[in-house]
Amino acid sequence: MKEIFVRLDRCVGCHTCEIACAVEHSQSKDLFRAISEHPVPRRRLFVEWVAPGQKIPVLCRHCTDAPCMHACISGAIRRTPEGVVLTDTDKCIGCWTCVMVCPYGVIGRHPEMQRAYRCDRCPDREVPACVASCPTRALVYRTVEEFSAGVRQTAAAEMLAGERG
Amino acid sequence: MASRRYVIIGGSAAGLAAAQAVRELDRDGSILVLSAEPDPPYYRPMIPFIVTGQKTAEGIGMMGQGPYTARGIEVRQNARVTAVDPRARAVTVNDQESVPYDRLLIATGSRPYIPPTIQGVDTPGVYAPRTLADARSMAQRVSNARRAVLAGGGMVNLKFAFALLERGVSVTMVVTSPEILSQVMEMDAAALIREALERAGLEILTGRNIVQILSGPGGVEGVLLDTGEEIPCQIVCIGKGVRPNVEFLSTSGILVDGGVMADGDTACFFGQEKERLPEVFTAGDVAVTFDPITGQRMMTALWTNAVEMGRCAGRNMAGWPTIYTGTFGILNATQVAGVPFVSMGIVHTAGTPYETHVVRTANTYRKLVFSEDGKRLIGAVFVGDIHHAGLYRYLIRERVPLDGLKAAAIRHQLHYGHLLRIK
Repeated sequence: MKEIFVRLDRCVGCHTCEIACAVEHSQSKDLFRAISEHPVPRRRLFVEWVAPGQKIPVLCRHCTDAPCMHACISGAIRRTPEGVVLTDTDKCIGCWTCVMVCPYGVIGRHPEMQRAYRCDRCPDREVPACVASCPTRALVYRTVEEFSAGVRQTAAAEMLAGERG
Repeated sequence: MASRRYVIIGGSAAGLAAAQAVRELDRDGSILVLSAEPDPPYYRPMIPFIVTGQKTAEGIGMMGQGPYTARGIEVRQNARVTAVDPRARAVTVNDQESVPYDRLLIATGSRPYIPPTIQGVDTPGVYAPRTLADARSMAQRVSNARRAVLAGGGMVNLKFAFALLERGVSVTMVVTSPEILSQVMEMDAAALIREALERAGLEILTGRNIVQILSGPGGVEGVLLDTGEEIPCQIVCIGKGVRPNVEFLSTSGILVDGGVMADGDTACFFGQEKERLPEVFTAGDVAVTFDPITGQRMMTALWTNAVEMGRCAGRNMAGWPTIYTGTFGILNATQVAGVPFVSMGIVHTAGTPYETHVVRTANTYRKLVFSEDGKRLIGAVFVGDIHHAGLYRYLIRERVPLDGLKAAAIRHQLHYGHLLRIK
């Protein structure tokens, strides 16, 4: 099961992922047409900034024990067999209980639709749009095993380099 | 070890959440949910949509929807538990059948409180809507109704007010307090919501009470208020809070004080000496738990809390020791008349020493309540703009020391990135 990992040291805060996300969730899936669409396509991840210079992409973690899914009063939030926590817009009644319980602040209130929206991990794509668009590969789409193996390899290489002085 | 027999009394939020949690951890045990209701479990907060016709009973069913996907959960309807014997480890269903258990959950929830000061509440057309059956009945009656009078200005009545407006019924809300939503926010916060409600066509009368239901051959014909005013109407809807369903425990020895007393892991007690009953648990509206902010005892009637506590109980029942982190007395989110709002934690601050910060615009209201020393967030109200509300709930619940984050919180610029830095 793949997940979107964030490598904070690589993010330069260019917001390309946000644009790619909004375009992917537009009707046309084309930037220039998406701009004039109604409802306005929305990004579902957010590149935040902490002084003095840290950029932090924040996106739905599709939590193991997802508070939004358990709190939902209409049964609109479920987990797919792929592990993605999905909001069914047709079942959502716009009560914002999910917004109230998400500790990441990544569930939005769509101003035109009056429904909750959030990362759906791009069901129509092999690789989520944010990941595919990231020019510094700060966002990667891997299994936990692949990602942690990469972390171990990097750490091992650094330790070796350190020992050699 | 033989497979465990799990028995859950109550087929709503706490009961089903517990059943789901048990099944996630124990594949083999038998899970029996005993529900007094004639309908299969459903999302109770959705019943106003039965009145409007926007949802069907099937559409709001819990089984198989949202997180409730576990298999092998038997739900028996019309199965009212009339007695519990914790020494014999058995419950009595409908005064006749004895059902044994290895682990028991008491999740019987609550029922509407009907103020004894209102005369004539048995008249046809008077509702204190709680069940799917109530909503179905109201949906039928609405066809012949021109006006409904709602007693109480809380969350449930607001939702029914809009359901009735949607069906073309005029609605008058009679509220004891000087303002609506007084249980979940103070007057200044509710003002924006009230304005929106009145624009949407709701008539709100504050500082008044219904004293009598006026009836005729067809049922309700009006109400008499304590001011002497009479309002003709065909439907009355009472939303004055709830009381826990504990009466069936009177002979059980299980410790009840207002509600069912719960230990830190949601286990029940036997007798006044508080002997722990490690195989009996409680969750939801019927349970007495505590407020993590004040440490005070707490009972709530909130879906979200019931699910959380039910899941905790379910884990303990399945043998995974889990501590319950308590319940805010206020943890409400909804949207009425186009205005979203969230209220959580300690929000009634008049006459308290808490540090409060209120920011108002034409369409929004934001209030943050900090502890007396100003170091921790203990409550928040957002009206109009509920953006990032969950972050604030996290700060309150986990008692996060704010340090450098306070200014960002007050300016509503807080985001998850800030929290990463202080962990």
